[in-house]
Amino acid sequence: MKAVLALAPRLQRSGGSLTTALAVVAFAVTTAMGLSVLGGLLGFIDRADRVPEGLDSHGVSAHENAELYVILATIAVVLLVVPLVSLAGAAARMGVARRDARLATLRLLGVTAREVRVVTAVETAAQGLAGAVLGIAGYGLLMPVWTRISFQGRPFDAGELWVGFAGIGGALVVVPLVAAASALVSLRRVVVSPLGVARRQTPPALSWLRTLGLLAAVGAFGLVVGAAGGMPQMIAVALLVGLLGTVFATLNLVGPWIVGVVGRVMAAAARTPATLLAARRLTDDPRAAWRVVGGLGMAAFVAGCLSVLPMFETTGEDPAADVITRDIVTGGVLTLAIAFAVAAVSAGIMQASSVLDRKREYALQRLAGAPVELFDAARRREVLAPLLLVTGTSSGVALLLVVLVIGTSGVTNVSGLALVLGFLAGGVALMLAATESSRPLLRSVLRETVVRAD
Amino acid sequence: MSLATADPFRPPVPTTVAHPAPQVRLAARGLVKRFGATVALDGVDLDLADGESLAVMGPSGSGKSTLLHCLAGILAPDQGGVALRGRDVSSGSDRERSLLRRRHYGFVFQFGQLLSELPAVENVALPAMLLGTSRREATERARQWLASLGLAGMEGRRPGELSGGQAQRVAVARALITGPDVVFADEPTGALDQATGADVMRVLTEATRAAGASLVVVTHDESVAAWCSRRLVIVDGREVRGPLAGAR
Repeated sequence: MKAVLALAPRLQRSGGSLTTALAVVAFAVTTAMGLSVLGGLLGFIDRADRVPEGLDSHGVSAHENAELYVILATIAVVLLVVPLVSLAGAAARMGVARRDARLATLRLLGVTAREVRVVTAVETAAQGLAGAVLGIAGYGLLMPVWTRISFQGRPFDAGELWVGFAGIGGALVVVPLVAAASALVSLRRVVVSPLGVARRQTPPALSWLRTLGLLAAVGAFGLVVGAAGGMPQMIAVALLVGLLGTVFATLNLVGPWIVGVVGRVMAAAARTPATLLAARRLTDDPRAAWRVVGGLGMAAFVAGCLSVLPMFETTGEDPAADVITRDIVTGGVLTLAIAFAVAAVSAGIMQASSVLDRKREYALQRLAGAPVELFDAARRREVLAPLLLVTGTSSGVALLLVVLVIGTSGVTNVSGLALVLGFLAGGVALMLAATESSRPLLRSVLRETVVRAD
Repeated sequence: MSLATADPFRPPVPTTVAHPAPQVRLAARGLVKRFGATVALDGVDLDLADGESLAVMGPSGSGKSTLLHCLAGILAPDQGGVALRGRDVSSGSDRERSLLRRRHYGFVFQFGQLLSELPAVENVALPAMLLGTSRREATERARQWLASLGLAGMEGRRPGELSGGQAQRVAVARALITGPDVVFADEPTGALDQATGADVMRVLTEATRAAGASLVVVTHDESVAAWCSRRLVIVDGREVRGPLAGAR
């Protein structure tokens, strides 16, 4: 075991320093955003604890208002946790194509499955730890941004948004653990069948049964909404927030299946080499394609949930109510902005990783005369087609939940739909920009790998 | 070295011979290529006639792959030039040279040039599609090529599901589907056992000849070179003449 563990740093180096750097950046973004969101939630809880019980001059309970902020902040955290954990998971699996091959070779040489697991867990946890440290620094650097945003009539101060040493320590433990767990899950193929990885066989299509999880979660959400009137308020809210998170998480199950279906339809209809290549990549590894577009799919879900924002209009008659209304809109837009930023970072990092994983393949195709534009076009189509469908599906599911909670008025509001469409258009543009950001990397990779030493 | 039939760097001379000797298809003159202080090619000349197959041999680091890259327009030589059917192809932009490779050359590498996510038939059809052939026609031609190389029934298999020899046959079909002038093969049997390697060389030389293409094979293996009609031995970036360079 010691000899195998000693190989871990060498394996990491052979996996490529740029891949490692990309994974560390992804973990850092996850940590910085995660701590910021947690800090916001703690800030609202802290404010609620300090508001005295009783009614103000307008007959309104300031304490109940403060607790409403805590509930809304919890919903925002639930909506952001899944994309953040997904980004961390994607980072853990980064460069898996090259690492798979090396670890499969180790398995064929007689290294046990347990030793392969340990090497991978140690290597990825180390990346997670480095990312967590950088992310904590990023959380500190972002603090001046968050303290400019006003809630409840005044901006937060840094003390309110401080997650405490427990939060910092938690990040240093949780991020490496999530990283190691994700890497171990992605290793199953190597551990179970090293020959399967080495030979790259056609993967079986994902089952439509995955959609049942999403349908069950949406159904349960509808049932709880119907029964919420007869439940204690706190239990109803907790159940609904929990089921919202469950629906959100099941999108991760359904997403790859949708991507696979898109790939098969595209492959059947492809007329150009770029479309054909993009389609085959989608059917070959729909999970990898989902890791690229899934972030926006989830952001689209958040956007769909926030279609109700324009219903909150200030009236000028009740200053306290107007503050809450403005804050709900601010919080919603902030949540969405963070979700889109995480999605764009996720897409950019995944695309860069994909270019590095296909380095040799790209170089040989280029030697044979394939134009570099073919790779650009294939990558763009590989992202755009599932992006549009996944975005539509995710926002559609979210709008369905909105209808279940507040009726059709939530989705017939023209401003609300315009807001959702505007955000989605901006999100798609942001994702395409993130995809295009790997163009210089591709050209640099092609320049470096043209000639084989003979 | 003089050009045997026509100088590709000059306009072609009309001939009245009823059965003309093979024309020079690919010619290189005084190729020099340096990588920093290392001289990889030091004044190499070469002629490749229509339908001819040439084995470029030499020890590791002798410059044979660099020669192949210069002939194929992948690298621009520091001095000298390469002409295909009399047209200078060693200068020009990267895009122009890339287009030249797509239209006039086919490639077989040691391993790895097949796209792992595409089935065999689409790997073969792709170069034709890149030249504007419709998918239907390209796929039909790809099927015919695979069948002619003994791979009927394997069209839907992905590279990971093919043996090494089968994958190289797919690569040969992929190199020939566009009707290239010259096929370049860089250690095409390097990853195969002797029997499979011989089988791949038989397929490569026969199919290339039947398609009317010329063939350049870079190898360090005598048994591979034996399949070619002529050989060029390179040591330290220069051609070496003598017993080693004799024709088969």
